[in-house]
Amino acid sequence: MLRFLSGLVVVLVFAVVTAPAGRTAQSEELPDGPGKKILLASCTSCHELTEVTKLRGYYTKDDWRDVIVTMVKYGATLNDKESDVLVDYLAANLGKKE
Amino acid sequence: MTHGFARSLIVGAFLVVTPLVSSAQVRIVQTNSGGDNIHLIDPATHKIVGEIKGVPINHGAAAAPDGTHLYFSSEAERVLAVVDVKSLAVTKKVPLTGRPNNISISRDGKRVYVGIVSEPGAVDVIDTASLERVKSIPTKGGIHNVYVTPDGRFIVAGSIAGRNMMVIDAKTDEPVWSLFNEGVRPIAFETNPDGSTKRLFVQLSELHGFAVVDFAQRKEVARVVLPDDVPAEQRDKGPFNASPSHGLGVAPNGRTLWVTSRPNGKAYIYSLPDLKLMGSVDVGKRPDWVTFTPDSKYIYVATEPSDSVTVIDVASMKEVTRITVGDGPKRNITAVLK
Repeated sequence: MLRFLSGLVVVLVFAVVTAPAGRTAQSEELPDGPGKKILLASCTSCHELTEVTKLRGYYTKDDWRDVIVTMVKYGATLNDKESDVLVDYLAANLGKKE
Repeated sequence: MTHGFARSLIVGAFLVVTPLVSSAQVRIVQTNSGGDNIHLIDPATHKIVGEIKGVPINHGAAAAPDGTHLYFSSEAERVLAVVDVKSLAVTKKVPLTGRPNNISISRDGKRVYVGIVSEPGAVDVIDTASLERVKSIPTKGGIHNVYVTPDGRFIVAGSIAGRNMMVIDAKTDEPVWSLFNEGVRPIAFETNPDGSTKRLFVQLSELHGFAVVDFAQRKEVARVVLPDDVPAEQRDKGPFNASPSHGLGVAPNGRTLWVTSRPNGKAYIYSLPDLKLMGSVDVGKRPDWVTFTPDSKYIYVATEPSDSVTVIDVASMKEVTRITVGDGPKRNITAVLK
């Protein structure tokens, strides 16, 4: 029991210490490409990147398009071509695997 | 091992020693916008006493008036999740017409209203007996927050994209009036002695404060900007999702209005009805939604970046404790569960 508790403490301390680094590293986890540049330029002026990456694995390409349409309505400055590139990028890198 | 798993171990330890909801009990229901779980907090102890799992990227929460069910919207799955309070299990997921944001429930508990943020926007209406979507009320733009007025007579839907607040008759589901040409964020309600709606306190896109709406006159009568009382070098620079003030509430006793500030990391307290600034309290980084205990003794303030909820004693305006919850806590409600 004592061994289990000491192990638990070590694990908890490790988890707490490394958590912030995990969040800030999310940008680096995303592959480079024109879509990433648009993502970082257009989305992170209003949102933390985690607002996007938290949806990893849930959305189809149509779902991502729905999100981008909403954000453009909210005021994101994206033209049609940039929106298409961003939707493709999000679907490819954070999209639902079907 | 991840931070989330470690946190689950801590929460699990509480669950082992603390019984789940038994008879009628007040619970603070704290959603976690970045996770798939929701936490129930006992305001008598300020401890987590329950956890609901399986609602990914949960957004809004509502409680049945009879205390038997909870409802949550899932942005990830585009559903309304129905939770049995006794087992804390998701018993059904009702498909929606688009990506949901916030939700509200009718006073009689027969209908849950779900704000659909996907264009062109709607308020989906879910019948809680059949657990089917029975209607979608068209709106001008995607809906971020939807409320039922305290007297149950109106549905109030705020749109960021449509830059308006629409007031809908709850009997006919028809729009009655609308207001604003700005993105509409969280809303709090002040009532008249007979329970009807007196004023709305409305947070708007890019406004570090709130607008005051006279409900009978159907117009904005004042706008309050929160104090600039934090030195620039200590102020959070964001980003704030274009919403520097995203959380406010009228205490159940009707005496105070509490409004959070993301850049200042504070909650500001205004007296009612005169809206005089009474003070402020540091609540942690980027505070979000707030909810009170029914006796107006405590207010719970979600602070998203720290994955915690700050508990404040309302009378003394002093912090009591901070409770670690899930990933990205934002929206919260107070519920009496059975």
